[in-house]
Amino acid sequence: MTRPVGATVRWPITTIATIVVLCGTSLAAQVSYQRLLKAESEPQNWLTYAGSYRSHRYSPLTQINRQNASQLKVAWAYQLRSGVVETSPLVADGIMYLTEPPSTVTALDVKSGRPLWSYTPSIPPDVIVIGSPPVNRGVALLDDSVYVGTVHGHLIALDAKSGIVRWDTTVEDNKHGFYLTLAPLALDGKIIVGVSGAETGIRGFVDAYDAKTGKLVWRTYTIPAPGEAGNETWGKGDGWKTGGGSTWLTGSFDPELNLLYWATGNPGPDWNADNRPGDNLYTDSVIALDPTNGKIKWHFQFTPEDVHDWDANQMLVLFDAQLGGRARKLLAQANRNGFYYVLDRATGEFLTGLPYAKQTWADGLDAKGRPQRKKGIAPSLEGTLVFPNIQGAANWHSPSYSPQTNLFYQGAREMGSVYYKGEAVYKPGTAFTGGGGRAVNGDDASAAIRALDATTGKLRWEFPLLSPGFTSLLSTGGGLVFGGTDEGNFFALDAESGKPLWDIQLGGTVRGIPMSYAVDGKQYIAIAAGVTLFVFST
Amino acid sequence: MTLSTRFARSGQAPSTRPERSRGARSRQVRFWCHAAIVFAILVPRASAAQSADVQAGKTLFNGLCVTCHGFEGTGGAGPPLNRPKLTSAPTDAALRAIISDGIPDRGMPRVRRTTENELKQLVAYVRSLGRTAGAKATGNAQKGRDHYAKLGCAGCHIVNGQGGSFGPALSEIGRLRGADYLRQAILDPGAMLPRGTLPVPARGYQEYLPVRVVMKDGSEVRGVRINEDLFTIQIRDAKGAFHSIRKSNAELVRKEMGVSLMPSFKDRVAGADLDDLVAYLASLGGGQ
Repeated sequence: MTRPVGATVRWPITTIATIVVLCGTSLAAQVSYQRLLKAESEPQNWLTYAGSYRSHRYSPLTQINRQNASQLKVAWAYQLRSGVVETSPLVADGIMYLTEPPSTVTALDVKSGRPLWSYTPSIPPDVIVIGSPPVNRGVALLDDSVYVGTVHGHLIALDAKSGIVRWDTTVEDNKHGFYLTLAPLALDGKIIVGVSGAETGIRGFVDAYDAKTGKLVWRTYTIPAPGEAGNETWGKGDGWKTGGGSTWLTGSFDPELNLLYWATGNPGPDWNADNRPGDNLYTDSVIALDPTNGKIKWHFQFTPEDVHDWDANQMLVLFDAQLGGRARKLLAQANRNGFYYVLDRATGEFLTGLPYAKQTWADGLDAKGRPQRKKGIAPSLEGTLVFPNIQGAANWHSPSYSPQTNLFYQGAREMGSVYYKGEAVYKPGTAFTGGGGRAVNGDDASAAIRALDATTGKLRWEFPLLSPGFTSLLSTGGGLVFGGTDEGNFFALDAESGKPLWDIQLGGTVRGIPMSYAVDGKQYIAIAAGVTLFVFST
Repeated sequence: MTLSTRFARSGQAPSTRPERSRGARSRQVRFWCHAAIVFAILVPRASAAQSADVQAGKTLFNGLCVTCHGFEGTGGAGPPLNRPKLTSAPTDAALRAIISDGIPDRGMPRVRRTTENELKQLVAYVRSLGRTAGAKATGNAQKGRDHYAKLGCAGCHIVNGQGGSFGPALSEIGRLRGADYLRQAILDPGAMLPRGTLPVPARGYQEYLPVRVVMKDGSEVRGVRINEDLFTIQIRDAKGAFHSIRKSNAELVRKEMGVSLMPSFKDRVAGADLDDLVAYLASLGGGQ
């Protein structure tokens, strides 16, 4: 073994160079706030819950398109833990981060589907989850950490490379019915979360935590206390204290306006308003918050004095368009109450609202967007049939907005419920709902994917579904819309016409949320059905 | 009534026991006097509370349960409840659990969440139904069995392992359905198709739904829907043959709502014979 002189020097240099390259990769693998701001510019990744702060659930990738969609086939599959799966995976730099029921986080190799690490928090067996199945809809990424909300009411930061816990914060006591199912939203050094629990009489809030330490930076209640503006909409009693207003779905963010948009849920008790006479601000609303301090800049209420459990937590889609002859910054939502709304997102001004699904409770919306409620729609002892049903025309399932078509795609549920009013007795950590409803299901119910002109809300096309499931949608630069059914179908539609181009039976109810990514120049579509994550490519 | 009877019996009990001292006896007399006063106060209140629960329970029942279980719990598309023993709810705890959680696999939803008080009221009412004489099927079940055989019902229905499987199995039908529903099913089978009796199709879909499919090549399939998804439908024809159809290959897929492939028997059985047949069906599975 003879070495030329200088080899001893050359080798270390190579080694150092390798280390430098590795470090470089490692640093690049960090999901900085700057990258989140420009998430749409790296379509090979899917860095935040709805794809970007604008919550379009749109992938600009074009490799899978109208011409070749019929050739889609399974690339790999991953079996999750048993339970109800409503997850939206994230992908960053070759790694997929997905959640499994109830609050497990798993990192997968995006090429092979092989797990790299998995973290399961210690959930007490007597955890209180009232109002939804114990699900999780995804994680947030920021710098070198992964953030997950849990059904026992914690927010946990994990090291992105190993899944090791960095911090674990109790958001609020689960004994009182607080729990988390949403994907947190990562902003500049802050992690924003909301809570579920209106069915146990919680007082909802939006929280911001320091991303590095897990310390609470601010909390904004969705129900004003006495002395604060809006408290007068709760009557004179203590109804506001148990008034619900959950914040159970991820919000949206406009960095230019520096406004964080969060949607709120139903007032409690859900079906009995006896102890809460009034509009019940800010339930069933969207609130625009200053992310630095949590101050509410404006609000818009979709369903005042709700008695049908029509949470307004649906995805808030931000887009810009010409309206009334000028460029407007808009916010759109297909609400659980059956109406599609367009607001000015700088001011909260109501611009447009139209029904997009069967509804029998309102004659329409007035000039300010307030519903003109019909008579005889209130829940009763003997039952009152009203459309939409308790789970709404829309719910947690994601719509999609394509900037290519300016269409807002929504899985619209056509179903009624017989609504009952019952007793409401508040006892911490137990159901405080005051009634309920019986869904009119089976062959009497249906659904459709509706493509609405995002600016006007007018129907462009619809694709009928067999039954009202929870159909989350993804639109793509390839001119496709992906969605699934309760009966296990997963399919691609032409985004312009709604014509079906491809479908497959996955053998389990499709409650997952579709997303797309690319690796090694190849585009993939991911969707969970039953308890399996399927990944497709052409 | 029950409590005062028990009191009277207890009052007799000392005489069967060994003689006691006068003091002991007078203490005993005082005790029973007090007890009588206490009972006199409590008994009417307890039964009034109980009957208030039954009344409130009835109001709740008529809103929440009557669609399937019928007024007074006589049954319909759901099991009759006007019987002393309920197979799935032998105890009050089991009955509470069923009302609270439903039996989703068997087509019973949790209609809504109930408070403890509402649960107590519903249980009180449902149990009261079992104490009153329910509307019994009036016919003779033994004779009804002969009609069942003569009418050829076994061609399509299985009872205790015997018969064809084109229609629903009837071995337990008396436990699962009320007499009025059974009568209607014989006379007008399309009026209400079964729901929640089969594992598929799920979620309250009509079972044994007739479907007519015309394929693009002009061929035709008629039978009952076994299952369906967005793009395909599975059908069994009258001969028992199975057909898997891709909807995009069909010119027409017509679901015949309000129709049953079972013929109406209204011209073939009536009066006392019909009562007998209903009584026979109602007796199956330990029913009435």
